[in-house]
Amino acid sequence: MWPLAKYVLENYLPRASNTTAQAMVYLLFALVGAAILLGFASAFAGVSSFVERRVAARMMSRVGPNRVGPQGLFQFMADGLKLVLKEDLVPAGANRLLFRLAPYFVFAGMFGTFVALPFSARLVAANLDVGILYILSITALVVVGIILGGWSSNSKWSLFGGLRSAAQIISYEIPAGLAVLVVVLHAGGLSTQAIIEAQGGMPWNWFVFYSPFSLIVFPVYFTAALAEGNRTPFDLPEAESELVAGYSTEYSGFRFVVFFFAEWANLWIMSAIAVLCFFGGWRIPFVTVAETYSAWYWILLGLAIFSLKTLTLVFLVIQLRWTLPRLRVDQMMNMCWKYLIPIAFVCILGTMTWIVFVGQDTTLGRATRIVLFAAGAGIVVRQLVRTSFNYRADRANYRKMTGQPLWYPPFRLP
Amino acid sequence: MTFNELSERLRTKFGPDAAPPAEGAPEALTVRSSAIQEMARFCKEDPELDLNVLSCLTGVDRKDRIELVYHLLSYRKRHELVLKAALDRAKPEIPTVETVWKTANWHERECFDLLGVNFLGHSDLRRILLPEDWAGYPLRKDYVAPTEYHGMSHARVNPLHEPEAPADRKQAELKDLSQLKSLYQPVAGEMVVNMGPQHPSTHGVLNFLLVTDGEVMHKAVPHIGYLHRGMEKMAESIPYPGYMPFTDRLDYLAAMSANQGYAMAVEKLLGCAVPPRGEYLRVLACELNRIASHLVATGSMAMDIGAFTPFLHWLREREYINDIMEEICGARLTYNYMRIGGVSHDLPDGVADKILRWMDHFAPITDEFERLISNNEIFVQRLAGVAAISAEEAIDFGLVGPNLRASTVPWDLRRNMPYSAYADFQFDIPLGQGFRGTAGDCYDRFVVRVLEMRESCRIIRQALAAMPAGDIRAKLPRRLKVPPGETYARVEAPRGEMGFYLISDGQETPYRLKVRTGSFTAMSIIEKLSHGVMIADLVAIIGSLDVVAPEVDR
Repeated sequence: MWPLAKYVLENYLPRASNTTAQAMVYLLFALVGAAILLGFASAFAGVSSFVERRVAARMMSRVGPNRVGPQGLFQFMADGLKLVLKEDLVPAGANRLLFRLAPYFVFAGMFGTFVALPFSARLVAANLDVGILYILSITALVVVGIILGGWSSNSKWSLFGGLRSAAQIISYEIPAGLAVLVVVLHAGGLSTQAIIEAQGGMPWNWFVFYSPFSLIVFPVYFTAALAEGNRTPFDLPEAESELVAGYSTEYSGFRFVVFFFAEWANLWIMSAIAVLCFFGGWRIPFVTVAETYSAWYWILLGLAIFSLKTLTLVFLVIQLRWTLPRLRVDQMMNMCWKYLIPIAFVCILGTMTWIVFVGQDTTLGRATRIVLFAAGAGIVVRQLVRTSFNYRADRANYRKMTGQPLWYPPFRLP
Repeated sequence: MTFNELSERLRTKFGPDAAPPAEGAPEALTVRSSAIQEMARFCKEDPELDLNVLSCLTGVDRKDRIELVYHLLSYRKRHELVLKAALDRAKPEIPTVETVWKTANWHERECFDLLGVNFLGHSDLRRILLPEDWAGYPLRKDYVAPTEYHGMSHARVNPLHEPEAPADRKQAELKDLSQLKSLYQPVAGEMVVNMGPQHPSTHGVLNFLLVTDGEVMHKAVPHIGYLHRGMEKMAESIPYPGYMPFTDRLDYLAAMSANQGYAMAVEKLLGCAVPPRGEYLRVLACELNRIASHLVATGSMAMDIGAFTPFLHWLREREYINDIMEEICGARLTYNYMRIGGVSHDLPDGVADKILRWMDHFAPITDEFERLISNNEIFVQRLAGVAAISAEEAIDFGLVGPNLRASTVPWDLRRNMPYSAYADFQFDIPLGQGFRGTAGDCYDRFVVRVLEMRESCRIIRQALAAMPAGDIRAKLPRRLKVPPGETYARVEAPRGEMGFYLISDGQETPYRLKVRTGSFTAMSIIEKLSHGVMIADLVAIIGSLDVVAPEVDR
């Protein structure tokens, strides 16, 4: 937004020379940018909540929301409206101020990351020089909100949830940060756009296939991101069967919405970070960075590519949530401190060595990238084959049981 | 050993007049109340008697005395013995046998609660089903039910007849749990958390008082009785056939087995035989019901561990069973299918095909379930090695059914003391063997249930293939004349052995009915298992023991 504001000031408002007027223009652009991002985050959170419920329903062989709007698409609006209209309860004995304040911390921690999160070339609210570090650090605000909410609710189950969450998020920030550091080593810069620009459009030019270590470190990042986002199998802070609803047990109405808004918006954030760090971001095959910056259609294509990659990961995360059970607290901590952090450290050292001794544009470096890409593609193909096997087994079984074929397009229900 | 050999063995040890046969019950021995501990220990430890199981401990108000009844059973020798002790009605006291069998702890507490028997030397003699401040002992024959409890009237105004009746809105002054709290005074660093009565994973209305240090549990004290409906008391005022629908409500997930247990008890007293087709239909219904019950047990266990999808897949399968049940007996949950002397309806046309088609469909679905959750590494890690129960411990605490078999005890009433038509069928008894951890852990209990479903399918196929023709019900008069006497009928319900101890005095209603359920004893071991585990493990333990609240409280 800043370059845009500067451009407008210089070309269209040359007479706004005094600093107050300039500041007003900057403020205006900041507000417009914030509004656009908030609109995007809300729309994404809402639609992804709907998509998650429908995907979950399909996985569990039930119907899912299908009443409000076409195929139930407006269910999230109805739910949001209902929740906003509910009474804003504060339990007796709760610390009223902190209880009311907590959701805002969670919201700020989530929404703050959008500032440095790119959508395409030029499409970023602020291309900070320390972008990725900023993103990693501002998400720590979420844990403040969750602890506040858990503690101030005056409920022991909330307190358990808050403390579990604190332990979890703080622990898993370390492997997440270390994994991102591997990417930073490859990219040679902390800015989110610089990281994307250092990658290429073709899959073997993505950072995930740059060296064996970055291929290993991607699962580390992904696991840590799941844990930071309180997604299954790391949904211990809100473990329903253990802690009722964890830190959000006592919340109702709008404040409850904010917690869940943050959770679903976080789906985009964690996937977008993975895409920009490991999967080439908005880079278009056969188009250079300079070309992408120069034309609006390349920018839009980049946006489409970035969104497609991100949504694929979002879909994967949703499927994981409805497949896996939950870890126990000690297992969760073991996994972080005994496995992920050592692996991440080894990967950092390995990457350093790799960059010094092999490099990216040597024959060995290129050959490695092709081999790793083949391995990665093999894993994906294997999963798809397995999925189709299960689907066909299901279909045959269904036909045998009911006597009619099981087929319905993904957007329609039986 | 036969009853005569058993009593002879006791007499050679304790003297010729130590254990005379009890009056009115030919298969029972009377013992002096002071000698009960010694006698019980001998019964348990003597290698020839080897009565290592206390199946049931209860009391009966005989108007002139209080009679305590101990049902003993030997898993290895497959014989049973009933001991009786007569107590002074004004001041019933008897030494506890808690030191011999740990399961006696809860049984004696229940006996104290409902009959006012004082067990000398008992470690924790408190009311268990009724509130702490309840007055009187309901199962005594001279008990008069109070009309109100803390301002809550027991009578309901009929809104059709008296629409304008002023509702008594007096605020109920309920006693809080202060008395309970004083029992578990936390030391420094401990926190007391209430889990339940409303909690997602207590499977009904249960309350656990968790004494924890952060996530690590020091103790979890179960507090039951929220669903106590006085089933046993109600039986005393309802004619024999009319009590059948009540047994449905004992264990709402496995109503068929409760039906069958009660019907078997009455049939034993009547001495009437069920026609073969009736027996086969009973087996068919019970096994279908067992699958449905295990579906909920394993599915909700997966849900407790955090995987929601397997649970709903299982509920979908259960829905098919419910449809089949609806066609067989008209109901989907509380079947009321059995009658004394048989079953209520014959198998409708086409249902046999439907069952077979469903089972063809169910086998690959079970494979899918095992791929999805049983072999999921997170799931295995959560359950393997958690809360392992050894075989001795399981017997000591009176665990029954799949929980007992998971602890490697090869005991299944269907095989070891065949009732109904089970002797006709070929099936295996899955035992826990430490599939992924130690034998008798939560994972074993889970796997044993999944395997049992496959075995039940085998039984159903055989029953359908060999279904005899003929009557489905014995001819019995509408008003049953049950001869005086007493009996103890055991069935292998999905939650383990369900015992119906029925006493008749020749009237139209039972004199006393005691139901011994698997969930009740399973609950009693939780306090022992909960020491040192984490909160998430407690949820897994409750799920793996498959406790159903109404069956605990009756």
